[in-house]
Amino acid sequence: MLKFRATKQQLIASVLIAVLAVAMIGVGLYGLSARSSQSGLKLLEDMRLQAILNTAGVGAVEAYVDAERQAATQAVREAGGGMAEIREASAKAAEEAAARAEEMGIGAVDLSEIDTTPLGEALNELAAAQQAYYAEEAAAQALYIEEHADEAAQAAVDEAAADGPADAEGGEEMEMDLAEETVDLSGFVATEEMNRLSAVVDEAYLALCEEIKLVFTALDDEVLASLKPTITGIVAQQGDTFEMQYDRAFQASGMNPGLTGSIMRQGRTLAISGVGLLVLAAAVLFYIPLVDKMGVPRLIIGLFFVLLCLLAMILGLSLPTQLSNTLVRLGMNGVLVLAMLPGIQCGISLNLGLPIGIIGGLIGGLLCIEFEMSGWLGFAFAIAVGLLISSVTGLLYGMLLNRLKGDEMSVTTYVGYSVVSLMCIAWLVLPFTSLVMKWPLGNGLRTTIGLQSSYRHLLNDFLSFKVMGVTIPTGLLLFFALCCYLMWLFMRSKTGIAMSAAGANPRFAAATGINVDRMRIIGTMLSTMLAAVGIIVYGQSYGFMQLYQAPRQMGFLAASAILIGGATTSRARISHVIIGTFLFQGVLTLGMPVANALVPQSTISETLRILISNGIILYALTKSGGATRG
Amino acid sequence: MDKSKLREGLRNNIVTIMFIVLCAICMAFSGYTPSYVLYELFGRLSRNMFIVLSLIIPIVAGMGINFAITIGAMAAQIACILVLEWGVPGIGGLALTALLTVPLASVFGFFIGKLLNKMKGQEMIGGMILGYFANGLYQLLCLFIFDNIIPINNPNLTITGSSGIANTMDLTRDGGMAGTLERLWRLPANQAALVFAAVIAVILIISYMRSHRKNARVLAIQLAALVIAAAVMQLEAVKSLFSMVQIPMATFGIVALLCLMNVAIMRTRLGQQFRAVGQNRVVANAAGINVDRVRIIAIVISTVLAGWGQLIFVQNMGAFQTYGAHEQVGLYAGAAILVGGASVVRATNTQALIGTVLFHLMFILAPAAGKNLFGDAAIGEYFRVFICYGVIAVALVMHAWSENARKKRPESALRTDAKA
Repeated sequence: MLKFRATKQQLIASVLIAVLAVAMIGVGLYGLSARSSQSGLKLLEDMRLQAILNTAGVGAVEAYVDAERQAATQAVREAGGGMAEIREASAKAAEEAAARAEEMGIGAVDLSEIDTTPLGEALNELAAAQQAYYAEEAAAQALYIEEHADEAAQAAVDEAAADGPADAEGGEEMEMDLAEETVDLSGFVATEEMNRLSAVVDEAYLALCEEIKLVFTALDDEVLASLKPTITGIVAQQGDTFEMQYDRAFQASGMNPGLTGSIMRQGRTLAISGVGLLVLAAAVLFYIPLVDKMGVPRLIIGLFFVLLCLLAMILGLSLPTQLSNTLVRLGMNGVLVLAMLPGIQCGISLNLGLPIGIIGGLIGGLLCIEFEMSGWLGFAFAIAVGLLISSVTGLLYGMLLNRLKGDEMSVTTYVGYSVVSLMCIAWLVLPFTSLVMKWPLGNGLRTTIGLQSSYRHLLNDFLSFKVMGVTIPTGLLLFFALCCYLMWLFMRSKTGIAMSAAGANPRFAAATGINVDRMRIIGTMLSTMLAAVGIIVYGQSYGFMQLYQAPRQMGFLAASAILIGGATTSRARISHVIIGTFLFQGVLTLGMPVANALVPQSTISETLRILISNGIILYALTKSGGATRG
Repeated sequence: MDKSKLREGLRNNIVTIMFIVLCAICMAFSGYTPSYVLYELFGRLSRNMFIVLSLIIPIVAGMGINFAITIGAMAAQIACILVLEWGVPGIGGLALTALLTVPLASVFGFFIGKLLNKMKGQEMIGGMILGYFANGLYQLLCLFIFDNIIPINNPNLTITGSSGIANTMDLTRDGGMAGTLERLWRLPANQAALVFAAVIAVILIISYMRSHRKNARVLAIQLAALVIAAAVMQLEAVKSLFSMVQIPMATFGIVALLCLMNVAIMRTRLGQQFRAVGQNRVVANAAGINVDRVRIIAIVISTVLAGWGQLIFVQNMGAFQTYGAHEQVGLYAGAAILVGGASVVRATNTQALIGTVLFHLMFILAPAAGKNLFGDAAIGEYFRVFICYGVIAVALVMHAWSENARKKRPESALRTDAKA
C-alpha cells in the first residue's frame, strides 16, 4: 500500500524516538500497576494518614496555644491590667505556647512511633463511606440533570432571545459550540439514600476522631468538628481520580514519596506520552510516503488529532463524552459536507455558494414550525419543502454558473454572501406569525429559533444507545449513511459517471457527446439540494435554526472538511467526506475542552478553527496550481 | 456607431448608474438635510478614501481586487499597539506608526504575493481566504503572544483579569495620535476648494510645460473648468450647503499625493511592467519580465498603502476594535472601487474616488431611508450589507460573463489559446 522510503537520518531519529517511547511506556505502565499493588496502596495510605495527622496536629497546636493564651489573658485581667497589657500578655503567651508546643511535639507525630493500625482502619472506613456517598450524589445529580434537561434547553432559547437582534455588520463569528445546556443544580435536593450515606460518613468520622484523640491529647471534639471539612476534603471528593487524591495527600502531608511515588503519580501521563512518541516515530519513519499520499496539511491535522486525543486523556477529560460529541457532529455536519461532492465532481469546484441551498432548507424548517407540524411528519415536510425550493434555486444558480466557467469560486462566494444578506431583509419582513419564531417585541424572526416544538433531536434520539459510555446517535448516523449510499449509487449511475467525466475534462466529455452544461446544472442542483437537507439535519441535531448571518460561513466549513478528508478542488470521493468530517469535527470537539483545560477561559479553540479551516482551503487553492480548468 | 458606443458605455458603467439612482432615492426618503449629508460624507471620505486607492495597482497588475488588504490593516494595527505601548504621543506617534507599518506590511505583502503566485487566476478568492487565515494568526498574536511572550507594560492595552490585548484601543488617551492629522490644518470648504484648484492648476501647467505635444487648447479648457469650479464654491448658496464641512487639508492632501503617485508610477518602467503583466502574463514573460516578481511588488505596495489607509482611518476614529476593525476593510474598499465603475481588470483614480463618494453616501443614507420607508432601521442596515456583497457579486459575474463571451468570439481565439 505505502511504498516504504526513508533516509538514514529519518531511520535514526525514528528509532531513537521509538526507544524513548518504549521506555516511557514501560515506566508508565509500571507506575500504573504500582497503584493497585500492595506497596503502592500503602504509600498512598501513609501519605493520607500523615496528611490527616498533620491537619489534626495543626489543630491541636492551635487548641493548645489558644488555651494558654486565654489563661494568660485571664490572669492579667484578674490582676487588673489595661487593654494594652492584656494584648501584650496574650501575644507573649501565644508565642511561648507555640514554642513549647514545638518542643513537646504536640503537633508533630512520627508515623513510626505510634501504632497506626486502628487509625488506618478508621481512615479507610471513612474513605469508603465517603466514596459511596459521592457515587450516590453523582448518580442522583445525573438523574436530576436528565430530568431537567428540557428546562435548560428552554432557558437557552430564552437567553438567545434576550440577546436581541443581531447587528447587521457584526456577527462575523459563528456560534460553533453545541449549545451548552447546563442544568441549574440549585434546585437539587439530597435523596434519602444520600442522607443515609451521609450519616454513615459522619459515623466513620467520629470513629476516626476517637483514634486521633488518642494521638493528640490536646484536641477536643469542638476543634475536631471544625476540622471536618478539611479532613474529609483530603480523604475524598466528588469525581476523584487517583491523581487528584495523590496531589491532595501529597500537599497536605509534606511527605516525600520518593521516586516510586512520582512514577505512580505520573504513570498515566508517561504511558500516554509514550504512545504519542510512538506515533511520532512512525510518522517520522513513514514521512515521505505519508506526505505523498496525504499532503503536509492533512498529515499535520491527523497528527494534531492524535495529539488532542492523548492530551484529553492526560488531562483526564472524559473521552467517551468527547467521542459522543464527535459522532453527533459527524452526523450533524456530514450531509452539508456531502453537498460539496457533486459540486466538485461536476466541475464547479468548491461550491462556496452553499448558503443558497441552506436558505431553502431554513425556509422548509420555518414553514414546518409555522404550520405547527412536529415529529417525523414535520421533519419530512421540512425536507420536502427544502428540496423543492433548493431545486429551483439550484437550477437558476447552475445556469448562472454555466456562464462563468473558470471563475466559479470567487463568484459563488459573493453570490452566496449577497443571497444571505438579502435573506436577512427577508427574515425581517416575511409574514410569519408563529410566536416561537418572532421576536416578542419588534419585527421579524429571531436569530436562533428553538426546535423543541418541531423536530429537535429527532434523528439523534432515534434508536440511540450507549456503549462504554459513548452515546451512539444511531438515527443520525443512519441518515448520513443513507445519504452517502444514495450519493454512491448516483455516482455509479450513467448520469453520475457522465457528470464526473464532464467535470474532469469538459472538452473530452463534450466530444463523446455528453451535454456538459446539463451535467454541471445537475451537479449544482444536487449540491444545493443536499445543502438544504444538510441544514435541516444540522438544525435537528443542534436544536436550533440559525438565521441571518449564520449560514454565511457554512460553505467554508464544509469545504474545509472535505479538503481535510483528502479531496482536491477537482476530485472528491465519499470517503473524503466521511474522513474529513470526522477529522475536522473531531479536532474542533476535542480542541475546545483541551484548550480550555490548558489555558482557562481562552478563545484559542476558536482561533484554531479559523486557522485550520482557512489554512486547508488555501492549501488546496495553491495545489490547484491556479490554472483554471476548462 | 455612436449609439453602440453609448450602449457600451452604459453597460460598462451600469453599476455606477444604478448606484447614483439608488442614492438619489435614498436621499429623497432619508429626510436628512443636504448640508448634514455633506458633513457626514466628508468625514467618511477623509478616513476611507486612501485605502480604496490602494487597490488600484493590483488590479492593473491583473490580480483583481486585492481582498488581502485586510492584512495591511492588521499590520497597521500591530504597529499602533506597539506605539501605544511605547507611549509616543501626538503627531510623532503617528509618524512612527506609519514608519513601523512599512516593514511589517512589506514582509506580510511579500508572503501574500508569494502565495498568490501559487494560485494564479484565483487571486481574489485566495486573497479573501488568506485574509481570514491571517485573522486567525492575528488573534493568536494579540491574545497569546502579546502580553504573554512579548510583555506589554501599558495596563490600558491589556485585558484586565486575563492576558492578551484589550478589545478596544483608545488613541485619545494622554496626547495620543487621535485626530492629529485632521487637526494640522482645517479650512472651510470654499477656501479648501481654492487651495486645491490652485495646486491642480500648478500641476497642470507643469505637466504642460514638460509634455512634448503642447496642446494649449486642452490646457485652457482644463484651467477654465477649474476656475469655474472654484468660483461656484464661493457662491453663497453653495457655501451654506457646505456650512458644516471643515476640510482636513492634510488628509485630503495625502489622498491627492497618492493619486499623483498612482499616476506617476504607471509612467515608470515598473508601471509599464504592471500593465504588461496585467494584460497577458504569457506575453509579458516572453518579453523578459519576471512576472512573479512584478506581482509580488504590486502586492507589497498595495499592502503598505492599505496599512497607511487603515492608520488614517483609526487615527480619525480615535479608537479601534482590536479584533474587528480590519475585518471588513477589504469588503468595503472592494465594493467602493467597483461602485465607481472599475472592473476586476481595470481601475483608475477617478473611479476609486467616485466610488468612495457614492458608496459612503449610500452608507449614510440607507439606514435612515430604510427606517422611513419600512419603519425599521435594521432593514436599511441589512440592505447596505447586501449592497456591498451584491455589488461585488455583480461585478464579478459581469466580468466573467464578458470574458467568456470574448473567449467564444472567433477572432480572439488566438489570444485565449495563448493564455491557456
